[in-house]
Amino acid sequence: MLFIKCPYCGDRSQNEFAYGGDATVKRPEINKEVSDKDWDNFVYLRKSPRGKHLEFWHHVSGCRQWFKIQRDTSTHEIFKTFKVTEEI
Amino acid sequence: MSQDYRLDNIGLINRDKKVSFKFNGKRYYGYEGDTLASALIANGVHLIGRSFKYHRPRGFFGSGVDEPYAKVQLYKNGESEPNVSATEIEIFEGLESESVNCWPSVNFDVGAINNFLNKFLPAGFYYKTFMWPKSFWYKIYEPFIRKAAGFGVVSVKHDKDRYEHKYEYCDLIVAGSGPAGLASAYAAAKNGAKVILAEDKPRFGGSLLTDEVNIGNQSGKDWANKIINELKGMQNVTVKNRAQVFGYYDHNMLVMSERLTDHLAKPKKYTPRQRLWYIRAKEVVISSGSIERPIVFGNNDTPGVVLASAAKEYLKVYGVLVGKKPLIFTNNDSAYETAIEFKKNGINPLIFDSREKPSSEIINEAKNLNIEIKFSHVVVSAKGYKKVKSAEVSKISKDKNTLGKIENVDCDCICVSGFWTPTIHLSSQSGNRTKFDKNIDSFVPNQPKQKETTVGSAKGTFTLEETLKTSFETGYQLSKKITNNDKKILTPSVVEKKFTKHDKFWCVPLPKGKKYKRFIDFQNDVTVSDIELALREGYRSIEHVKRYTTLGMATDQGKTSNLNGLQLVSSIEDKIVPDVGHTTFRPPYTPVTIGTIVGREIGKHSKPTRKSPMHTWHKENNAVFVDAGVWLRPRYYKKGNETLFQASKREAANVRKNVGICDVTTLGKIDIKGPDSAEFLNRVYTNAWLKLPIGKARYGVMLREDGMLMDDGTTTRISENHYHMTTTTAQAANILSHLEYYLQVVWPELNVNVVSTTEQWAGAALAGPRSRDLLKKIFTDLDVSNDNFPFMGYLEGNLSGVHARIFRISFSGELAYEINVESNNGNFMWEKIIQLGKEFEIQPYGTEALSTLRIEMGHVAGPELDGRTISYDVSLEGMLSKKKDFIGKRSLNKPAFIAKDRQKIVGLVPIDKKTSIPEGSHLVKDVNAKLPNPKLGHISSSCWSVEFNNPFSLAILKDGKNMIGQKLFAVSPLKNKVIPVEVVSSHYVDPKGERVRS
Amino acid sequence: MQKYSLFSLIKNAFRNHKDWEVAWKNPKPKKEYDVVIIGGGGHGLATAYYLAKEHKIKNIAIIEKGWIGGGNVGRNTTIIRSNYMYDANARFNEFAMNLWRNMSQELNFNVMFSPRGIINLAHSDVQMNAFSRRGNSMRLNGIDAVLLDREEVKKLIPMADFSENVRFPIFGGLMQPSAGTARHDAVVWGYARQADSMGVDIIQHCEVNGFDIVNGKIKGIRTSKGNIKTKKVGLCVAGSTSILAEKLNMTLPIETHLLQACVSEPIKPILNYVVTFGAGHFYSSQSDKGEMVMGGDLDGYNSYAQRGNLPTLQHVLTEGLALFPFLSKLKMLRTWGGIMDMSMDGSPIIDKTHIEGLYLNCGWCYGGFKSTPASGWTFAYTIAKDAVHELNANLSLNRFSTGYLLDEKGLGTKTWIG
Repeated sequence: MLFIKCPYCGDRSQNEFAYGGDATVKRPEINKEVSDKDWDNFVYLRKSPRGKHLEFWHHVSGCRQWFKIQRDTSTHEIFKTFKVTEEI
Repeated sequence: MSQDYRLDNIGLINRDKKVSFKFNGKRYYGYEGDTLASALIANGVHLIGRSFKYHRPRGFFGSGVDEPYAKVQLYKNGESEPNVSATEIEIFEGLESESVNCWPSVNFDVGAINNFLNKFLPAGFYYKTFMWPKSFWYKIYEPFIRKAAGFGVVSVKHDKDRYEHKYEYCDLIVAGSGPAGLASAYAAAKNGAKVILAEDKPRFGGSLLTDEVNIGNQSGKDWANKIINELKGMQNVTVKNRAQVFGYYDHNMLVMSERLTDHLAKPKKYTPRQRLWYIRAKEVVISSGSIERPIVFGNNDTPGVVLASAAKEYLKVYGVLVGKKPLIFTNNDSAYETAIEFKKNGINPLIFDSREKPSSEIINEAKNLNIEIKFSHVVVSAKGYKKVKSAEVSKISKDKNTLGKIENVDCDCICVSGFWTPTIHLSSQSGNRTKFDKNIDSFVPNQPKQKETTVGSAKGTFTLEETLKTSFETGYQLSKKITNNDKKILTPSVVEKKFTKHDKFWCVPLPKGKKYKRFIDFQNDVTVSDIELALREGYRSIEHVKRYTTLGMATDQGKTSNLNGLQLVSSIEDKIVPDVGHTTFRPPYTPVTIGTIVGREIGKHSKPTRKSPMHTWHKENNAVFVDAGVWLRPRYYKKGNETLFQASKREAANVRKNVGICDVTTLGKIDIKGPDSAEFLNRVYTNAWLKLPIGKARYGVMLREDGMLMDDGTTTRISENHYHMTTTTAQAANILSHLEYYLQVVWPELNVNVVSTTEQWAGAALAGPRSRDLLKKIFTDLDVSNDNFPFMGYLEGNLSGVHARIFRISFSGELAYEINVESNNGNFMWEKIIQLGKEFEIQPYGTEALSTLRIEMGHVAGPELDGRTISYDVSLEGMLSKKKDFIGKRSLNKPAFIAKDRQKIVGLVPIDKKTSIPEGSHLVKDVNAKLPNPKLGHISSSCWSVEFNNPFSLAILKDGKNMIGQKLFAVSPLKNKVIPVEVVSSHYVDPKGERVRS
Repeated sequence: MQKYSLFSLIKNAFRNHKDWEVAWKNPKPKKEYDVVIIGGGGHGLATAYYLAKEHKIKNIAIIEKGWIGGGNVGRNTTIIRSNYMYDANARFNEFAMNLWRNMSQELNFNVMFSPRGIINLAHSDVQMNAFSRRGNSMRLNGIDAVLLDREEVKKLIPMADFSENVRFPIFGGLMQPSAGTARHDAVVWGYARQADSMGVDIIQHCEVNGFDIVNGKIKGIRTSKGNIKTKKVGLCVAGSTSILAEKLNMTLPIETHLLQACVSEPIKPILNYVVTFGAGHFYSSQSDKGEMVMGGDLDGYNSYAQRGNLPTLQHVLTEGLALFPFLSKLKMLRTWGGIMDMSMDGSPIIDKTHIEGLYLNCGWCYGGFKSTPASGWTFAYTIAKDAVHELNANLSLNRFSTGYLLDEKGLGTKTWIG
C-alpha cells in the first residue's frame, strides 16, 4: 500500500485516495477550436512511461482535493506531490 | 504408546502438562509446548505423509517453516483445516490430525505404484503424452490427475473462526527475534524508538535457544530471556510471538500475521483466531535468520533423513531424539553441535564429513568427546523404505567426483547439513536486488531499495560476535536517525566456538550402476535427473527449469531446494550461480490463511449496505428489497400472495390512476454553490443553463469526454448562486469526483464549490393524477396550483413543522412531485404523506413499478445509459446545445456517431400483444438465417404496459429512426424464444408529455 | 523433430531419457531476417509459428529481452473463452477456440486444453439481463452459451454461498460450456518447439534498443546483441508496448497497469469450472495440481512493477470469500503480478502502422491468453500480406478516431478501473 503525501492533509495510506490518470494530458480549452487529431490525442493517447510519471490522485476519503504526484511506475517511489496549480 | 524418544531432563516444553492428541486415528501423548512434529517423533512416529508425484513415504525433514513434507489435515472443535504444517502447529488437548495424499492409508498407499513407474514419469512427461485420442485429456486423463493431486480436503462449511485486522505505525519493525533481532530491537528501544519485534515461533530467541554460546556471562538462552522480558516491559515496544512478517510491500508497508488461538484447545469467545497487521514502519530490520540446506544424496527423502539443525532443535527445545543411532552427514562445522548434543545425552553419533582435513575448536571438542568422525566421507544413499535403516557410505575423492568402496552403516536417522542459506525473502520483496556471496555460496541482500537493513545470518553473518556488534549498532543508528536520541548500549561480551570453512559441496555423485533418486525439491518430487533432463531439452533459463520441473513451486516454496537447484543448473551449464540467477521471491513468506487476509468483511459484511431513513417502514410494509449498488431499495410491496409481476402492475396502475409514493432517497444529491455555478453547469451538461431562473429545475444530461452518455438528472436553482443537482443512484460518487476534477483541475478559475448531500436529504416522489390534491393537503399554506407551481418548478414549504423542498419533476411521466426533508425527518415525512394520502388511495411503489412507468414513457435509465450510447442513440440529441461547448461535445462528430444508420432507441410491441420480450433479446430480420445471424439491435428494457395492458419494450436498434412500423423478430436463443414484434415510438404513453404539465 | 507420444516416452525411458532433443535451440542472431517479431511471449511465438506454417516464411527471428514465456503468458490465470458481446471480439475469440481445440495435436505438445466451462455469476435481475444480452449475442454468432438460474448454478457449484448470510445472493449465471483452461507454459513451449523446427530463430536475453526507419519504412532494429536488418517488424510486447512505442515516437491508446493473481495451497478437487463473481472482480478455477487459482482487480495505477500490493489482493479475496466461504481456512500460497497493456476501450489492436513494415499487436488488457492462437494467426496474416484479415479488421488502431469502439464494459478511457 502506497504512502501518499496529500499536499493538504499530509501522509496518508493509499486506501484514502483514488487514482486519476496521467496529469500531463491537458484538456483543450473550452469554447476554442481544436483539431480532430489534438482532440483524440487528449481523449485516447497516453505516453504511459516506465519511470517518472506525473499523475493525478484524488483524496476521496479525505479532503476531496485533486492533486499531482510524480511517481516512478517501476518502483512506485514517489518523488513529489503537488497541488494542481503547482508545477514541477 | 509411550514416548520412547523423549529425554527426561532437557527441553523447553512444559512437562507438567501432558496433552493427548490423535494422528491417523491413534491416540498419542505429548507435552504442552510440543509441535505436532516433536510430539510424534517423541512417540517414534516418522511416517507422516506421501509425496506429491511418486507417493513415496515421507517423514519430517525440518523443524519449522522449512519443512517440505509434513502437511496434515487438522480437526479442531468440529472445524477442519487442510495442509497444516506439523512442524509449526503446537499440540493442544484434543487435536486430531490425519495424513494427506494417500489412499487407503499412509502405511499402504496405492499411489505408490508411481514410484515403480517413475522411469516413465520424468519431468514434464505430461507434456509429451496424453494427447491421443483428442477428447481423452479432458474426459479421462485430467480427472484422474486432478484426483491424484492436491493435498488436504477443504471443508465447505462456513468458517466459524474470527479474523481481525489491525493498522499500526512504528519507528522500527524487527522481523525475527534471534540474536540479531533482539540486539537491534533492544538498542533501538533503549534509544527511545517505537519498536515492534515479531517472532514467528512461539518462543523468542531463535538460534540462541539451541546454540551453546555465552553472552555477557549468561547462556545465550538466558540472555535472550532477559532481553525479551525487559522489552516486554517497555512502553515503546510491542513484542509479538506466533507472528510472522510475511510481506514487505511498497513504501515500507510490512504485513504480519499473528496466530492467537491456533495453539489453544478452547479459545475464548470473540478472540480472533488470527490477526493481520498492516504496519507502516519508518525503518525495517530484517533479522530473519537462515535456513540449513541439505546435501543431496540417494534416497535422501527417506523418513529419518532430517536437517542437522532440526535434529538439534528437537533435542534442545523439545527433548526429543530423531533417532537413537544417528549418522551426521555434513560439509561444515555447525552439524558438529548436533553430534555433540547427541553425545551429551548419551547417544553415540557417527559423523561423516565431506571435508578432507578440517580443523577447528568444535571438531576438536567432538574428537575429545570420542565421537567417531570420518573425513572425506559421504553418505551415498539412505536405505530403508518407511524409515532409515542404514546408510550406504563411501570415501570421496578430493575433487568430489569419485566415490570409493560403498559400505553399509547401520543407523536410524541421517542428520544432514550442507551449510546455511540466508533468509532473504523480505529483503528481496522490498525490491533489493540481491547479490551472490561466494564465501557462503548464497545470495545475500545488496543495496536496499527501501528503508531496510538486514542483520545477522540473514545477511550471511554467521558469528554471534559480529552479529551482536552489527545489530546493536544498527538498532542504535536507525533509532538515532528517527528519535534524535543518543543513548547507546554497550555490546555484551560473547563466548562462542570459532568455526572453520565449509566445503563447497552439495550433491553426492551416483555410484556406478546405481539409479538412486536424488531429491532436490522434496515436496514436488524433483530429482537431480529431472533437472538434468530439463536442461538437456533446452529449458535453460532458471525460470524454465522451475516451470518445467516444478522445482521450488510446492507449498514450502523451495526453502530447502532452491539453492541446490541453482547449484545443479550452474554446474551443468558451466555458469557461475549469480549468472543463473534466482527466481523472484514474492509474498507471502509462508502460506497465509485467506480468512486472515480478508478479516471481518465476510458474509453480509463483505460490502457495506446503505439503507434509507424509511427502510424500517418499508420492511414493516412487506417491501421486497433489491440491491441498487450498495443501497437496498424496495422493489415492490407484497400484498398477500402477489408475485413480483402482479404487485408491480398494481403499484404502477395505481400511479397512473391515483397517486403513488416512492422512496427516492438513494438518488445522488450534490449541492453546488458559487457565483460561477451557472457557467459550470453550462459546461457540464449538454443543454443550456445560463438562463435558468431561481426556483426552477431543469433536466440535464452529462457526457464523458469520449462523447458517451454518462449520467442524467435534474438540477434546481435554489437561490442566486445555489443549485441542487441530482444524479442516478449508481453514478452518485463518480459524478461528484467528476465535478471536482473539472473544478479543481481543468477550470480552477470558476468560483464554484460542490459537496455531496445524498445522506442529508430523504426523498419521496409523489406521482399520479391525484398527487396535486395530496400535495395541497400536505402543504396547506402553499399555492401549488399549476400556475403558481408549474412543471419544473421548485418551492419550499412546511411539512407539519418540518422544512421541506418540493420539486415538480417527474420520472414516471405523470403529474409528480419530489419532496425532500432532512434525513432525520424522513420517516416522519413518509408516514405523514401516507396518512394524508389515504383518501387519495395512495400506495407505495417500488423500483419495479418505477421501471414500468418510465419504460412506457420512453424515459431512459441505466440499461440505456450503459456507457456505450451517445445522446442520439437514446433520442436526447435535442438536448445537445449547438451554441455552446460542453464536456464531450468535441467527440460527437466521429464518423461512427454520425453514421446514417446509427442506432437509435425505439419501442417494441409484440405482434400478439401478449408475449413479453425478455430483456437482453436481440432483433433480427430473418429468424432462419445461417449463423452468425446479423443483429440489428437489442432489447434494453421491458415492461408490461399498464396503460395499454400489453407488453412493451425499449430497444436500441440500428437505423432506428427509419424503422418505425417495421416488423422484426426479437430472439432470445438462451430462452428459446422468437417473438414477432412491431417497431413503434419509444414514447409509448403520452408522447406529447401533457400529463407532467397538467 | 522428435515426435512426442507415449511410445516415444517409453522408448526414451529405456535409454534413461538421454536421447531427448532440445525443444528449441539457442541461436545467435543473423545479420538479416525477412521478419523480426519482437516479444517471445505466446502471441509472438504463435505469430512466428503461423508465419512459417501458413505463409511459408522461414527466415524469422523472435527477439525476447528475457526468457520466452516470461511475460503475461506465464503469469495469467489460464482461462480460455469466447463469451464476448461484440461481434468482432466474439468471432475473433471463437476462431481462437477452434485453434485451441486442436492445439495439442497440431503442436504435438500437450497444452492440456480443458473445456470445463466458465460460469459468469449474476447477482441481480439487471445483471441477468446484461448477461442475456451477451449470451444471446454469442448464440447468434454460433457460440455456445447457456443461461442458468439459481438452482442450476447450485447444482454445478454447490460450494458457493447459497446461504441467507450473503450480501449479494446468486441470481443465476451465464455459462459457456466449451470454455475452459489450458496449461500456459505448455503453449509457449509448444509454439516455440514447432517454430524452431521450421527454422525460426528464437533469440532470448536480447533487448531491442532502437529501430532504423528510413523514409517511413522500417529497415532494421538495434539490439543488445547487435543490429539486425529486416523489412518487417511485428511488435508483440504487451505491457512493454509503450516503452517501444516511445522509441518509435508513437503514442498509443494504451496504459500499462498491474494485475495480480494468486494461488492457494493445493487441495483435493472441489471446483470443476471457471467461475467469475458478478458483484465484484473475482474469478477462480482449480488447477490440475489442486491449487485454487484466483485473480481480480488491477492495482489501479500505472505500473511496470510486476509486483503488487496487498490491499488489492485483500479486496479480491474478500470477494472470493463472499462467493466461496470454503476459501476462509485455505492458505494463500503464492502471489504474482503481470503488467497489462490496457487499451482505451478494453479491446486489442492488431494492425498496420503509419510506418511501412511495422505492425502492431497490443492492447490485450488482461485477456490476451485466450486469444493467443487467433492473435498469432491474424497477426501473421497481416504481416505476410501487409493487410488486415476480416478477423482483425475491426481491431484497428484508427477505431479511436472513427468511433467504432469495442467497449465491452462501457467503462470508457479510465483504464485503471479495468
